[in-house]
Amino acid sequence: MVVIDKETRYDRQLRLWATAGQSRLEHSHICLLNATPTGSEILKNLILPGIGKFTIIDNRLVTQVDLSSNFFLKREDLGTPIASAIQHNLSELNQEAQGSSIIKSIEQIFAEPDTFWGQFSVVIVSDYIPHLKRLIDILWSREIPLLIVNSVGFYGSLNLIATEINVIETHDPSKLYDLRIDKPWPELQEFSDSFDLDKLDDTEHAHVPYIVIFIKALKQWKIKHNGQPPITYQEKTMFRNLIQSMSRNIQLETNFIEAYNSYHRAFQKTEIPDSIKSLLFTSQERKLTPTTSIFWVYVAALHKFVSHNNGQLPLPGKLPDMASDTNNYIKLQKIYHKKALQDQELFANEVYSILDTLRRPREEISRESIATFCKNVQLLYVTIGSKYLSNDKLVEELFRDGDSTSSLAVYFGVLTFNHFVDQYKRFPKIDDLPQFIHLFTKMFGQANPLPQSIANVFQEILSHNTRNYHNLCSLMGGIASQEVLKLTTSQYIPLDNLFIFDGVKSTSERFKIDPL
Amino acid sequence: MRDLSSILPLVETAGPFNEVPEEYDPHDSLLSLATTKILVIGAGGLGCEILKNLALTGFKDIHVIDMDTIELSNLNRQFLFRPEDIGKSKAEVAARAIIARIGDDNLKITPYFGKIQDKPREYYRQFSVVISGLDSIEARRWINATLMALVDEETLVPLIDGGTEGLRGQSRVILPTISSCFECSLDLLSPKVTYPVCTIANTPRLPEHCIEWANQLQWPRHFPDRKFDADNPDDVDWMYQMAKTRADEFKIEGVTRSLTLGVVKNIIPAIASTNAVIAASCCNEAFKFVTNSNPLLNNYMMYSGDESIFTYTYPYAKKDNCPVCGNMPKWVKAERWWTLDQFIEELSTKQEVQMTRPSLTTSSRYLYLSNPEELEKLTRTNLSKKLSDLLAPGEEIVVTDPKLPISMKVLVEFVGSEVDPEFINK
Ligand SMILES: [Zn+2]
Repeated sequence: MVVIDKETRYDRQLRLWATAGQSRLEHSHICLLNATPTGSEILKNLILPGIGKFTIIDNRLVTQVDLSSNFFLKREDLGTPIASAIQHNLSELNQEAQGSSIIKSIEQIFAEPDTFWGQFSVVIVSDYIPHLKRLIDILWSREIPLLIVNSVGFYGSLNLIATEINVIETHDPSKLYDLRIDKPWPELQEFSDSFDLDKLDDTEHAHVPYIVIFIKALKQWKIKHNGQPPITYQEKTMFRNLIQSMSRNIQLETNFIEAYNSYHRAFQKTEIPDSIKSLLFTSQERKLTPTTSIFWVYVAALHKFVSHNNGQLPLPGKLPDMASDTNNYIKLQKIYHKKALQDQELFANEVYSILDTLRRPREEISRESIATFCKNVQLLYVTIGSKYLSNDKLVEELFRDGDSTSSLAVYFGVLTFNHFVDQYKRFPKIDDLPQFIHLFTKMFGQANPLPQSIANVFQEILSHNTRNYHNLCSLMGGIASQEVLKLTTSQYIPLDNLFIFDGVKSTSERFKIDPL
Repeated sequence: MRDLSSILPLVETAGPFNEVPEEYDPHDSLLSLATTKILVIGAGGLGCEILKNLALTGFKDIHVIDMDTIELSNLNRQFLFRPEDIGKSKAEVAARAIIARIGDDNLKITPYFGKIQDKPREYYRQFSVVISGLDSIEARRWINATLMALVDEETLVPLIDGGTEGLRGQSRVILPTISSCFECSLDLLSPKVTYPVCTIANTPRLPEHCIEWANQLQWPRHFPDRKFDADNPDDVDWMYQMAKTRADEFKIEGVTRSLTLGVVKNIIPAIASTNAVIAASCCNEAFKFVTNSNPLLNNYMMYSGDESIFTYTYPYAKKDNCPVCGNMPKWVKAERWWTLDQFIEELSTKQEVQMTRPSLTTSSRYLYLSNPEELEKLTRTNLSKKLSDLLAPGEEIVVTDPKLPISMKVLVEFVGSEVDPEFINK
């Protein structure tokens, strides 16, 4: 037996979501309905990084087509229950993940009380299941995210159905830094004032961090401009020249070169981003209850914090690297860090006072969690989901572009494919095209005759009507598993809410199906 | 027996997007799948996926090359490997695992435990398609240039290249001489993070600065005769302790063993999901190419999954000054006061050049030859001479790198002053 060092085993993923994300992943339980190749691939991609538990629900027996396309079936599995065969073969990938299989039909599962679903963090439906709408309703009311992933021939689609998704650790790549150069708090101002640029020797002068340069330049500018910062393009250029003039040699002083190049940071206003303003606005309309999610408790507390702190958000406290000597950079880091800790403390008090009024225990929220929220406060993400697979607007969009090449034709083809299976209990073939189009028109109405572009896509689907083309299964499985990882680690921004892949053209598109 | 029932519907009928409907013959497609020799380069994160995908979509003659052995940190995504395989050849274990699982006597997987550079150029002529799933830029440049050099009246081996980094990746189809090649797009690669030596030596601020101090400055001083081995725990421990001491001295926080390893090994985050997406995209293109069932990707698909899901597919344009597939020279700016040494430094750090030990020649003389040793000694004196004195006006320089089968034509545009401005200031 080889001893497994988890930190090393998971090293490459911990660099993406850290131990906090890993621990959430290890506490989640994923349910797969239909043991398709796509479904097996999804689970493979989740078991490898160490998902806590998985359950496969399927009552079929392994067929030749299954064997032909699923790596997690062995020849001797032919004719045995597919759910347990795949569960068994997947379990070899990682001893940490606990698998189980339920050999029942969806109807049999529905016969059980709805509380059955409560054990799952995310439910995945692969391809067709009967009574999908009923499943959506149950999971929607229990606020369990549902992924519906389809693969037909060279095409694939993915729906994410969730009442609401909110993310604190979005890992936004835009690298925003909240530096407050326009509104230095006393300690920062004091630090900046402690530099007398003229008295520094050349080495010291070339190592003054640009935050100090900006604060000084801005102060100087405001004195000459009625207390106003540079606003117009011309003024900004003049400000840039001012920075240059402060340098003793703009070719050599890397700190001034940096300041000159990133001069936009000097005018970055300390204000609340629009996305966060609208969040604060929404939170006022929400009534807090003992079951309100922690995210909305945080937003309510943030609202209070902002009104008690001159309309400012808690300081994240993160500093970009900048030319400086070690000492001054560390001092600056400490000033930002101290202010961030103070803000965290004040914010925590707002959180606790809300919890107290709701008679909820303070232990519900850890200090790390509060710190994480404050560090990411400018980049919070919230979206309201939809429980519909289609609506009038989406159909309109499909027909709007006439004969153009929107991927929506692929999606409606996939939906119609599932309707066809529902009605005729078999896959549609190319000979079924008229019937297929008839069914499509019956479901989604309009447009007679069908635009050629849509007809072509339907024809492509029926010509290549396998649901087990491994490349597409694996691709959609990769994408769906990635969404499960985002949902379970509560990091990065998930799909909102429809993704379509076209493997004929090797393109994809996403759409948002509106909540209403 | 595993049969082809899952893919038969894809080849039995030509769909509406088929580009050669008149000539399309399902039997030819099936025959091609069964007989095509396909080479997979890399049996790691992408490679495991690629091998599985090919084996499940009708390919029967698969070759795989990988020089690496299996490590514990591979197991979070390289699903063909188990803890007891650690230390064994990736190519060999992967081939065995696929064969055992698929159980088809007609499926041949031929592994080679070694470097792609071990094989002569002609070896690559036998393949109909090459799929690369490598993270080494150098190896990808090498195979790209090699397949380009094979092109003649009978041979054109497409290169399908996949790459991933965290939740992002790309797949592309390179038709040598026809579409843009790997070398054309070197500047698309995210540049390696580097820190100025004076920061590392004098004014460290980040934990990374302390690690680079240990790595770049202290290791060569303490162990002049031995290269650092990132797979040796003792070496890593030494590096970590050294960096930690430095950080403590400067009161810098955040030096951890994991960060140390990340910096010195240039570790790129990797998960199974992204590899699955990119590998499947590559194999879908290989399948379409071999069966003629649908059009090929033209020619680049980038994928990003960290903010929703996004792909962008576009024809990446061929560069006419590409050293591999173009014939025009590349213009490079140089300050008039630069020595040859400074010019080489500039050239080798350029994102679209990236050569570690370039040799430079003109039609009339050797400027600098990085090997063999005797010629290096002979040309070394040129390094301190001014570049503008070494070149005739408008003279073309040919730049080569012993590690790459590439020669790049360069024309120099002289700018700036004749004298080093820093020198004037002093
Ligand atoms: Zn090229």
